[in-house]
Amino acid sequence: MLPISLKFDQANTFWEKTTMLEYRAYEEIERYLNGQMAAEERAGFEALLRTDARLAEQVREHRQMLQALKGFGQRRDLRQQLNNIHSQMEAEQQPAAPNGWTVYWNRHKQTVAVAASVSLLSVFGTLWSVQQMKAPVQQQTARYVELRREVERLKKAQTAIINGINDASKPAPRPAAFSGTGFAISSDGYVVTSSHVVEGADSIMIENKAGLKYKVSEIYRDEIHDLSILKVSEGNFAGFGKLPYTFKNTESELGERVFTLGYPREDIVFGEGSLSSASGFEGDTTAYQISIPLNPGNSGGPLLDDKGNLIGVISGKQAGQEGAAFAIKSAYLLQLINELAITGQVQPLTLPKNNTLSAQNRPQQLKKLQDHVFVVKVYN
Amino acid sequence: MKKSLYETDEAVIEGIRRSDERALAHLYKLYFPMISHFILSNSGTDDEAKDIYQEGVIVFYEKIKDNNLELTCQIKTYLYSVCRRLWLKRLAEKGRYATRLDETDSFVPVEEDTLHHEEQEKQFGVMGDALEQLGEPCRSLIEDYYIRMQNMQDITDKFGYTNTDTAKNQKYKCLQRLKKIFFATYKPEV
Repeated sequence: MLPISLKFDQANTFWEKTTMLEYRAYEEIERYLNGQMAAEERAGFEALLRTDARLAEQVREHRQMLQALKGFGQRRDLRQQLNNIHSQMEAEQQPAAPNGWTVYWNRHKQTVAVAASVSLLSVFGTLWSVQQMKAPVQQQTARYVELRREVERLKKAQTAIINGINDASKPAPRPAAFSGTGFAISSDGYVVTSSHVVEGADSIMIENKAGLKYKVSEIYRDEIHDLSILKVSEGNFAGFGKLPYTFKNTESELGERVFTLGYPREDIVFGEGSLSSASGFEGDTTAYQISIPLNPGNSGGPLLDDKGNLIGVISGKQAGQEGAAFAIKSAYLLQLINELAITGQVQPLTLPKNNTLSAQNRPQQLKKLQDHVFVVKVYN
Repeated sequence: MKKSLYETDEAVIEGIRRSDERALAHLYKLYFPMISHFILSNSGTDDEAKDIYQEGVIVFYEKIKDNNLELTCQIKTYLYSVCRRLWLKRLAEKGRYATRLDETDSFVPVEEDTLHHEEQEKQFGVMGDALEQLGEPCRSLIEDYYIRMQNMQDITDKFGYTNTDTAKNQKYKCLQRLKKIFFATYKPEV
């Protein structure tokens, strides 16, 4: 009756017989499960299942296992397929995919918002309370701000001491736009002043205390040391006369008493102080620091020591700092004069040889000096 | 052009029934951003989003294939519901209970579907392990015949058996072993 036994292979040994029997049984079960049995055979097999509980159990297990196998395979393939789709999708829309930052933002935006408002509040709160505290000492604050602005200017450079003349002080056709101070360096009409005084000049006039006016032109300029040499350009010029001072080509000592004459206003003004540093603005070794109160218009003036030696040319002062003025050392003026001779444009200058001021007191010195110190008027 | 083919839910379902890979790809790409957003805004990572979404798609896909999907809502809602369910479960396993879910869509009850899916996942996991333990060449033999449905003659040639009978015997021998390993770990919850 058993369909299995009908197909039994006689040639096998007993052990093989039993295992083969089992395998045959599997085959039958599979045929049954796959619906490959003919109707008659199928009916027979089902009848057998109803009586043989062991076989029925085997069939159930087998079915379950085959299903699991198939399902496992299918799902594995499907997963593979989905993974392919996923990577394809990622490749397609790489930039569109939500990046880490957006995710982070979405997740933490509330926290971030709270943190941001707290910090904003504390910042503005602090600012406000500081403002409140500052109110009683408003004056101090104002000075502080002032000082800061000065520091800003300090960065640029020395403040050029140029006196802007706005009012028409002379009945000249046109008032001078700027003025500074200059002094004679040789009796045949050479005058030195600061470069920044005559910068951008169309025409330059010099005038001394006695009221003598000369038209001059700039013949040499040294921007680095802020020096310019002017020459009287009038035909009937007779000369300045003998210069009372000489130029010092060595460095002067710290603490030496120094003085200057200049034209910070229409009249000549005397200023006295001492040499306070052997270097100038921001450690500039080509200049001295001097403690003479200076004003716009003093630029280009002579700086003399007690004995009446010319030791420098006034160039400027430091903004926002009291008593810190600067003068270019005379050594550089001499250097400039030498350079001028080398260019061959002019005859070598005959510098004054004798100092007639050394033995005199200050008022007498000034009396001799003042004819050789000029106001430099710049027209443009 | 291609996309317009699957504009409606019906077209997508029909496409999947026909085993049209493009239908599945279209569906997959269409709703991934939604699920990804949901997972990411509920303390998940990119990888978890991908994982959960694929599970959801598999549930949906297999239900269509088994012809027992009674869709009472949009595919979108169904996928969202399944993924939501799966994600909640995953969160619970991680020991994190979402006190307040950041819902991005409405959802329908899908408890039964996800439970069925999980049961199957478990079973297939055991099967996968069993196949691993089986070793070669048994594993390939079994997979070729029962999963890849190759015919006995090809398998005989491939594995170099003298005839199909030897191959068959070998196959049953392997199946016997697989069965033992499989039922040793897998206890169906009846």
